[in-house]
Amino acid sequence: MMEEAASQLERDHVHSVYDKIAPYFNDSRYKAWPKVRQFLLDLPLGSIVADIGCGNGKYLHINKDVFKLGCDVCRPLVDFAWSQGHEVQMCDGLRLPYRDGCFDAVLSIAVIHHFSTKERRIRAIKEMARTLRVGGRIMIYVWAMEQKRRKFEKQDIFVPWNPNPHSASGFNGDDGRPRRRATTQSVSEAMDGTENPRKIRSTSSVADEEDVAQTVPQQRTQRPWFFSRSLDSVFDFGSLAISWPSSRDLRPLSSATAANEGNKPNQRARGRGLIKQVSSFFSPPSVIGSEEDVFDPDTDKQKGQNDSEAPSNPTNGSSKEHKGVSVSLVQECGSLALPDLISLQQEHLKQSEDQRVRGPLGREHQEGTQSPEGSEEHAEASCLRYYHVFREGELAELIEHHVEELHVLHGYFDHANWCVVAEKVQLWKI
Amino acid sequence: MKLLTHNMLTSHVKGVTKGYPLLIKATEVKVNEVEFNPKFVCRMIPKLEWSALVQAADQLGHREELPGELVADYEKNEDFLKRVHRVLLEVEVIEGCLQCPESGREFPISRGIPNMLLSEDEA
Repeated sequence: MMEEAASQLERDHVHSVYDKIAPYFNDSRYKAWPKVRQFLLDLPLGSIVADIGCGNGKYLHINKDVFKLGCDVCRPLVDFAWSQGHEVQMCDGLRLPYRDGCFDAVLSIAVIHHFSTKERRIRAIKEMARTLRVGGRIMIYVWAMEQKRRKFEKQDIFVPWNPNPHSASGFNGDDGRPRRRATTQSVSEAMDGTENPRKIRSTSSVADEEDVAQTVPQQRTQRPWFFSRSLDSVFDFGSLAISWPSSRDLRPLSSATAANEGNKPNQRARGRGLIKQVSSFFSPPSVIGSEEDVFDPDTDKQKGQNDSEAPSNPTNGSSKEHKGVSVSLVQECGSLALPDLISLQQEHLKQSEDQRVRGPLGREHQEGTQSPEGSEEHAEASCLRYYHVFREGELAELIEHHVEELHVLHGYFDHANWCVVAEKVQLWKI
Repeated sequence: MKLLTHNMLTSHVKGVTKGYPLLIKATEVKVNEVEFNPKFVCRMIPKLEWSALVQAADQLGHREELPGELVADYEKNEDFLKRVHRVLLEVEVIEGCLQCPESGREFPISRGIPNMLLSEDEA
């Protein structure tokens, strides 16, 4: 039952989301994380390396002297990677279609944090270890719970996707940075529409977003996101209870800046079905910030994390964005079966409470208010992506305790990620 | 899908023990030109399941006179390396399918991409 719930959750909040947002990701000129790039460049000539969860294939062009292949569950992303000339397959991280020990190296960059239970995360790592030859190395990057200035409060979260975090004119004005061109010109133009001439920021992973955040201007964005209880804990029957957010639970975070002018992404709430199933899944969330903000552009930028060679792609939504987002999400939440799935911000406290109170009735209201924008912004629908963010040491521990065929060589924190490099070892069974 | 990739792929249908190598049924094959790097090919050869490569090349009608077994001293044999290079990297299956030798399950290849996703009951 856990397995089914886990896989349903991943279908709704990982696979289907990436399927939808893939068009906004396909700028393959997004730079690789420098340390990942170096890992690839250090491989000896003639190595075979697999990028498991390769997304749009952004790592697959690095190092012409090694043979790279990539795989992913997301068809549109894989299609794009193929269009760039890469060898890619569709497959599932829990069941890799490769023979034992055939790879010299494996990459898992911002992937396993999408598996919704500890057991699945372990299985994913074990599968990759299986395909690695003895002596081969794997590099794993996962989102960190601990960010530079703040921490996620819970480890299991849903993060809304916003394809166009920048909005047009407005309070914060132009950030003055040239935006990376999306390769799908038509998509970006359609998206920008009446708003501004800037192209869409595209990103294929949190790592990218982090990368991008390095060049972001000072404005800080906040975007609400949602906590959930981990699926692992949900099936502890003693703790099944619905928790309701109260105003006391609202914790103010660093202030958002400007007036709202931005998009109001529609939240698809595809997880509705699952949400219904697992009613105690959600606990009172609090706003921590935007997806980019997790990486805290201000601090990161100032600390001169210039080694990232980040592309001059300014992403970070302007803060005017966030109000719009949070309002719409709050409105959206009114339409969910579980009204406690709400993201709240101090400024919108009252509004939120109204929505909450309205409960299921909020649906009609919300649909009414949102419909004019809804149809325009169909393409910009905010989707919730599930992440299990890792605590310091968690990834290394997971490997040390559960994947004996891998030996952790080193671990480190890279921008917003916990990273581990491990080596496949020969196991001798006596 | 290149044959170098195919050499790594296996059927992972539940219960199957002999899922390798996958049989190739191609309906569209392309041959591209890829820069030849003899050192690269040399390093690659020991990593291959040689007979699976030959079988696959055969199935595509691109055997290129590859021997059924690896010859000694192939490192110095540029002609041989070129043929291996062609088979590994230049021949591509664009449309078709890969068939599990044990279960018969077919994994489609479309637009050059093999879809190895299993359904719930197969996994």
